[in-house]
Amino acid sequence: MFKTVIIDAQKCSGCRSCETYCSLKHESLCAPSRGRIHVIKWEQEGIFVPVSCMRCEEPSCELVCPKHATYRNYSTGAMEVNANLCIGCMSCIFACPFGATFMDQSTGKVLKCDLCDGDPTCVKVCPTGALTYEEISQETMLKLIANAEKIPRLVREALGKNEQAAAG
Amino acid sequence: MYGWVGKILKVDLSERKITTEPTEDYIDEYIGGRGLGARLIYNEYKPGTDALDPGNPLIFNTGPLTGTALPGSGRVDVTAVSPMSRLRAKSNFGAYWGPELKYAGYDHIVIMGKSEKPCYLSIRDGQVEIRDAAQLWGKDTFETQKLIQQELGDSETKVVCIGPAGERLVRFACLITETGDAAGRTGMGAVMGSKNLKAIAVRGSGSVQVARPAEFLEQSIQVNREIREHPAYAELSQWGVARGVHMMYAMSFFPVGYFEDVCWEELLEKYQGPAYVEKYSMKNMGCFCCPNRCMNFFSVPGIGKGLTSCEPFSGFTGAVWNLDMDVFWEATLLVNKMGIDCTETSATIGLLMELYHDGIITAKETDGVAMERGSKEAILSTIRKIAGREGIGDVLAEGQMAAAKQFGPDAVEKVDQVKGLAPHGYEFRAFKGTGLMQAVGHRGDPLPLRGSLLEVDWHHAPEWFQSVGKEQFGSEEAAIPTSYIGKAKSTIISEHMERVPDSLGICKWLYNLFIYNDVKMATRLFGMVTGKDWEIEQMMEAGERVRNLERMFDVRQGLRRVDDSLPKKFFEVPLSKGKYKGEVMDREKFEQMKDEYYELRGWNKESGVPTRAKLEELGLRDVADEVLGSN
Repeated sequence: MFKTVIIDAQKCSGCRSCETYCSLKHESLCAPSRGRIHVIKWEQEGIFVPVSCMRCEEPSCELVCPKHATYRNYSTGAMEVNANLCIGCMSCIFACPFGATFMDQSTGKVLKCDLCDGDPTCVKVCPTGALTYEEISQETMLKLIANAEKIPRLVREALGKNEQAAAG
Repeated sequence: MYGWVGKILKVDLSERKITTEPTEDYIDEYIGGRGLGARLIYNEYKPGTDALDPGNPLIFNTGPLTGTALPGSGRVDVTAVSPMSRLRAKSNFGAYWGPELKYAGYDHIVIMGKSEKPCYLSIRDGQVEIRDAAQLWGKDTFETQKLIQQELGDSETKVVCIGPAGERLVRFACLITETGDAAGRTGMGAVMGSKNLKAIAVRGSGSVQVARPAEFLEQSIQVNREIREHPAYAELSQWGVARGVHMMYAMSFFPVGYFEDVCWEELLEKYQGPAYVEKYSMKNMGCFCCPNRCMNFFSVPGIGKGLTSCEPFSGFTGAVWNLDMDVFWEATLLVNKMGIDCTETSATIGLLMELYHDGIITAKETDGVAMERGSKEAILSTIRKIAGREGIGDVLAEGQMAAAKQFGPDAVEKVDQVKGLAPHGYEFRAFKGTGLMQAVGHRGDPLPLRGSLLEVDWHHAPEWFQSVGKEQFGSEEAAIPTSYIGKAKSTIISEHMERVPDSLGICKWLYNLFIYNDVKMATRLFGMVTGKDWEIEQMMEAGERVRNLERMFDVRQGLRRVDDSLPKKFFEVPLSKGKYKGEVMDREKFEQMKDEYYELRGWNKESGVPTRAKLEELGLRDVADEVLGSN
């Protein structure tokens, strides 16, 4: 059973806790620019979108790496980077379709979410539930039900109207 | 360095000169933020300099905890000499600018001089540039932030700026960042405008170093959790202050109108704040790393989007006799975009309404607009006129007293101000401790101090909060609103406590008022971040040092005991109805509370000036020598 971080941007309040706590956890200092997650903000519209590694099934970052430094950690599902093999060519950063592979500007090192070995810090501190750590199968099942549920709701609504019309 | 990033940036706009100075020299005595800022302005300001003169330093202060992974670590303190009082100004704003300043490499910014032409300051990772702002002049605060982000090609640039009101030197103009975070009070926008400085844009990729990162991470996750489990969180993160406002009115703690009375039955019955939140609040938002989200982001069709919290909810309702929440929102958005202090603006409108109601002015004095209580036109047109200095707005922009003088002596009689500021938004007749805190306070508003909120909490569980009063402030009576006993001591302790989060660069709502009701947690976190393991006593002593230094700055400006007062209405006009019907501040007992306060402080009772002995005890001998004279 794989668990993953699910992002619900509608709930995000843009507080940047995820970025900052992430840098404290991984880099032992406070610097949102060195987080492995970033929040893109439209503050005048109240819209905020957290972006982080999506752990693709066929990850571009892994495919383009000339040194095979990027690999999947099969115990968590996270894509990780072996710093000893990484030559800092940034291919993975540019290949990522989500822009979710980041670079530490002070060291040139690649920053990639490793799910904190299965206990993600960002999820612990996210106050709004915009970030959750869920079992994928359960989450997709919930989505499936939420989506399918529209049909019985419409049917009930239509029946209700018919009944009202019949009564009226 | 841990916590601090180590540099104070000094910008002289006249000479276009940029220098830096180390932060380290000051930290053991003044910590950072507000405390260190008080020392900087004491050193930099030359007595006699006018508030709108280029020589008035405008100082931005972050603290050692600003920008750390910690709830409420987004605060910035701003100081200068106030164009409203000529005393030391102090205002504090949140959001995201402060952390970014530290990531860009600076703890403080001291701005001196005046640019020849409109300019703005861009700070990027230690690169400081004074840039032309001709195209920004006249723009509102929302547009200004967007245009700067576009010009610099970086949407993550954080901007604090003034609006048209600051450019026109409206004496109570404010600073705005994002859509509703303001350094609201004491006229910082006018000081910035007087320097031809439109904005300060910051962007940094640096970091704040932490002495004990693993321990701090664990503790900080714990703090995040404790806040989210706290009852105040459930309220604030969902409703902001919208529901609390009604409770405050019900307890006669918020003024109605221009302190005309405190009970307006219609408001108690029909206050629509919470319904408005339900209908139009898109989400609740807060500052950097804060789970508490005490602000509502409203999106109202036809009016606009933005954030608000706190004072507009009473300032643009009860204080101006308004029950139409659309007017509240339009007014709030307007003051934020124009960059004027909501509190002073609503009080000014309240004054005009009282004068009109009492027949002291007619529509003629206010450009043909009848200042009827609650009138939408009166509220909105007055804001526009103040921001634009049009018609009556030109003299209103100079302050309530200047306008009242123009109207005549009857109007002057009506003005309620303390140390040049509107004493909104609390009411003091029934709340004796709050009244004392207001009167002796460093600026003319009551600010939420812990001892004051204790008088509010008391209503929920009198016996419990009396025991809290005994434990924290040495007396059960400290918690009882109408008692004059124990209030001096609760004021003193609350004042020292308040300076701790303000100097650390964190939110006093969280670390002083609502979640953690003392400075223990703040002191612990300070130790983990900076590696300085101070005892609570050392922290509180720094608070006392800052309080005394701030007082001495104002003493140097001419402040004396007589200025520590309240408008005479609070002594002479009893409350006519409501929960505290008949309450009034007893002048004699009030003066006795003050006597007790000065004595406990080690200040001269007659003059209200700190004694040499007290100053020397706090390591402020140089200040004593300069202000009291050496002997």
